[in-house]
Amino acid sequence: MRRISLGTALIFAGLLAFIVAAIGADVFASNDPLRQSLLLRLRPPGTATATAYFPLGTDDLGRDLLARILYGARASLMVAALSVSVSLLVGVTLGLMAGWFGGWVSIVAMRAVDTMLSIPAILLAVLTVAVLGPGFFNLVLVLGLTRWPRYTRVAYAQTLQVAALPYVRAAEMAGCGPGRILLRHVLPNIAGPLMVVATSEFGLMILFEASLSFLGLGIQPPYPSWGSIMSAGRQYVVRAWWLTAFPGACLFGVVLCVNLFGDWLRDRVDPRSQGR
Amino acid sequence: MPELKSRLLQALIAIFGVLTIVFFIMRLSGDPTLLLVPDGATAEQIAALRHVLGFDRPLLVQYGAYLLDLARLDLGQSLVQHAPVAGIVAERIPYTMALAGGALLVALGVGLPAGLAMAVWRGTWLERALAGFVLAGQSLPTFWSGLLMILFFGVYLGWLPTSGSDDLASLVMPSVALGAITMSSFARMTRIAVLDELSRDYVAAGRARGLSYGAVILRHVLRNAAIPVVTIAALEVGNLLAGAVIVETVFAWPGIGQLAIQSIASRDFLVVQTIVLFVSMVYISMNLLADLAYGVIDPRIRRDR
Amino acid sequence: MRALAFSFPAMLLAAGVAFAQPKDTLIVDLPGDVATMDPHLQWDTESYTVYRNIFDNLVTRDVSGKIVPQVATGWRYTDNTTIVFDLRSDILFQDGSKLTAEDVAFSVRRIINPALKSPQLSQFDQIISADVTGPAQVTLRTKTPYPALMAQLVKLSIVPKAYVEKIGDQKFNQEPIGSGPYKLRTWQRGVQSVLDSNDSYWRVKPPFAHVTFRAVPDIPTRIADLRTGRADITRGLTPDDAEALKGDKSLQVMPVATERVAYMFINALAGPTKDKRVRQAIAMGVDRDTIITALQQGYAKPVNVVLTPANFGYIADIPGWKFDPVAARALVKQAGAEGATVELLTSPAYDRRLNEAIQQMLGEIGLKVTITMTDQPSFLRRRQGSPEEAGALSQGRWSCACQDADGVIFPLFRSGSIWSKFNNPAFDAEVDAARTILDATQRLVHYRRAFEILREEVPGVGLFQDNAIYLARKELKWIPTANEAFFVTEMTWQK
Repeated sequence: MRRISLGTALIFAGLLAFIVAAIGADVFASNDPLRQSLLLRLRPPGTATATAYFPLGTDDLGRDLLARILYGARASLMVAALSVSVSLLVGVTLGLMAGWFGGWVSIVAMRAVDTMLSIPAILLAVLTVAVLGPGFFNLVLVLGLTRWPRYTRVAYAQTLQVAALPYVRAAEMAGCGPGRILLRHVLPNIAGPLMVVATSEFGLMILFEASLSFLGLGIQPPYPSWGSIMSAGRQYVVRAWWLTAFPGACLFGVVLCVNLFGDWLRDRVDPRSQGR
Repeated sequence: MPELKSRLLQALIAIFGVLTIVFFIMRLSGDPTLLLVPDGATAEQIAALRHVLGFDRPLLVQYGAYLLDLARLDLGQSLVQHAPVAGIVAERIPYTMALAGGALLVALGVGLPAGLAMAVWRGTWLERALAGFVLAGQSLPTFWSGLLMILFFGVYLGWLPTSGSDDLASLVMPSVALGAITMSSFARMTRIAVLDELSRDYVAAGRARGLSYGAVILRHVLRNAAIPVVTIAALEVGNLLAGAVIVETVFAWPGIGQLAIQSIASRDFLVVQTIVLFVSMVYISMNLLADLAYGVIDPRIRRDR
Repeated sequence: MRALAFSFPAMLLAAGVAFAQPKDTLIVDLPGDVATMDPHLQWDTESYTVYRNIFDNLVTRDVSGKIVPQVATGWRYTDNTTIVFDLRSDILFQDGSKLTAEDVAFSVRRIINPALKSPQLSQFDQIISADVTGPAQVTLRTKTPYPALMAQLVKLSIVPKAYVEKIGDQKFNQEPIGSGPYKLRTWQRGVQSVLDSNDSYWRVKPPFAHVTFRAVPDIPTRIADLRTGRADITRGLTPDDAEALKGDKSLQVMPVATERVAYMFINALAGPTKDKRVRQAIAMGVDRDTIITALQQGYAKPVNVVLTPANFGYIADIPGWKFDPVAARALVKQAGAEGATVELLTSPAYDRRLNEAIQQMLGEIGLKVTITMTDQPSFLRRRQGSPEEAGALSQGRWSCACQDADGVIFPLFRSGSIWSKFNNPAFDAEVDAARTILDATQRLVHYRRAFEILREEVPGVGLFQDNAIYLARKELKWIPTANEAFFVTEMTWQK
């Protein structure tokens, strides 16, 4: 095992901090993220009243920005994590089956992949939200179901390689069923590259939710996500910079950390990029 | 080439799949009749208009009619603009191409040198800094970073136009905003490709012949590493075409992405379907070309994707 | 090199001349592109803003909102359903042909012909015939006496019969010709429309040689355009934008109280709001003063009913519901609706902050409001669907561009209308009567009774009279109007 560098440690620490903040939102937020005070709109960071303190200021309905960012972290990270899980489940299942069975299974699966990839993801998402209606679970479903083909491609290519390995052949000879072989022998071997895809997708999903919020189809009001806080706050980018700067910095931090983590993971998984 | 024939057939199937999926999702999302009548219309007036527009027919009948029109190369009329869809979409394509081209230029212009430097100075602080820089470009929501660019370069410095599409200067900011999203994948691909090449024997041989490290890289490594990078670029074009929805909205750039979103919002079915048809055809043919090119350039590579 | 030396002073000279001359091109940033140039095919705000500068109307409104002649010089009722219009005979279309009574009759018949599928059909379908009855005279007949007719005719563009028939509807939409102060030069779809002044215009000299309407969807981008002088005027600012831009010395914020009423729809036919007490509690639970001062920043005026003072039929002395959360809470409890879930339907087209503010206010009187935001077509499908689907609440900003109660409370609350989730025969009788009587005093009597019923039954509650907020360069002189018309001839440029 190589030792983990300082930079990598920082990335891990950063990610961990955001996850802790999201989980512990109830503990860290001193104010209710939904509580409005219309007479305290757009107050700058550090505003204090007789009854409350707003370390990061208030939004355009007089709600505590810190509390909203903390609860927003929860929504943004949950949406990303769950939608990545949905895509992984669908994409990997199809990819494993296509790679193992080949023939018409692979033809159908890979044509479906082509089809899905050639529809611009954002348009597909907007259309599907129009049909299903918005809301947390629909959002997860829509994001998950538009992004699975990337996993299928990787899982398929990897399964083809792994399936040819002697010990997999041996397991097949020994009479193991395809389900068992795929789960016990193939999946663990291809998990690395899949994780690499999943990490970069995780960052993309956070941004994707933000885009949908910008188009008015993200997390339902009044609940916050980073994307919805920012798209509501961009109107005030000059007058109340804190409304976009703080959630923007958080979003930037998380996506950057996730991407750097993805790069790190890729270097460990993909021997080509390690140099020889 | 039976290989090519089967690939073409598969491409056609994929495009047909795209059309079908988009057709049914669009129809399930409701028809545009309510958006076309004035606020005070009665239920009878609405039903009458719906009938005239043909949205009261069974879905499969509408689907059949659409396919028939398509087979006759008739893309239909826009319900909102009362004009042929083909023209409406075609007018936007040059703008989309210009933006995609500009973004590709930015992504390659930054991504290639960055990737090269990351490979050559592997393991140094420079690599980490560059990695952070190219990733930063894709870690911000465009609706915010684009606006900040407008305010800084357009309003504060006054260097670039704040919106519009009338000259080359107005293409700069949208291209940077869109290109920033893809430059990290170029940098990454370049880095891997160059590292791959650097490990080959000819590099050591070149050095042994007395060529400088820089000369080896410029003369040989870059040329060989370009192949996989160009392939990625070809694939990215598809994504750049309609993935620019938000960039186009923020910078008032009249590409097909903006048109698509507006047409979804007004349920102008045929416009949306035509845009998706166009994008998927470009994407699939780029895919096909990249695959073929890959096979031609490097016969060792098996097409198994 | 010599060529450069020669051309440089010439350029300076040209620039100097341009500076001394009055402004040549007015640049308008609109949120979107024109949908159709044919004035009978679309009336979305963008299309309307542009094509009304290309066409003349039979009648128009002056700055004070009074209906005054334009193509018509005068009109008289020969009986309750027959109106005779005398027309000017000195108006030329932009192709040089004369505007005649035939063109006026044709324009009316064209828009009421169902085959044209005009979205404005329901505004004009009270008209049953339009006939040329003299060399410069047209006679319209209506189904019943129809008091809102003149208000609707303000929106009827006159198109050239011979030209439309010659080139067909499709081509006319691309290359429209009107008799208005501006003519279309180019229309780059999705980008901009450029108009040139019609120098032989009969009414006034158009103030700018050219007008460019650009499509810029994002508000912050439009504001940036104004700040850098890339555009001269835009619309659609929020009160918060307006406040932030007040200090900008090169710009001016131009708010105007419009005929647009912000209201909250309350479903009287389904769900917890079926109980009248719950609806009344909602009316008492919404703190409209705070909404006006805090959210609207004063860019709004209070109203007591679902109508604005800019409309005919506004009854000023009907008491509105006073904000009284204690009484509201008690009423909710009395109705057994405490903790009931009330769905607020909305779309991105409506003010997000207002929805959330109302959600909290109603939360305080014991109702649990859930906000369902879908895109506009999905919202309309539910809002205009059956009462069970329509949600309990939704906000709206209603304008009929006719400044008459008939265009507001009739479609909103008359049973049978797709917007109405209210069924009250007494109310129906009053609004039916008010739309078929010509006498203004009698109409007001009916509207008073209608508003009294609305006050008691609360199928909706008026929130405020909305402001349209324009942002313009300091040099532009213009007085925006209550009907949100955008006539370039009303503007001037002063250095």
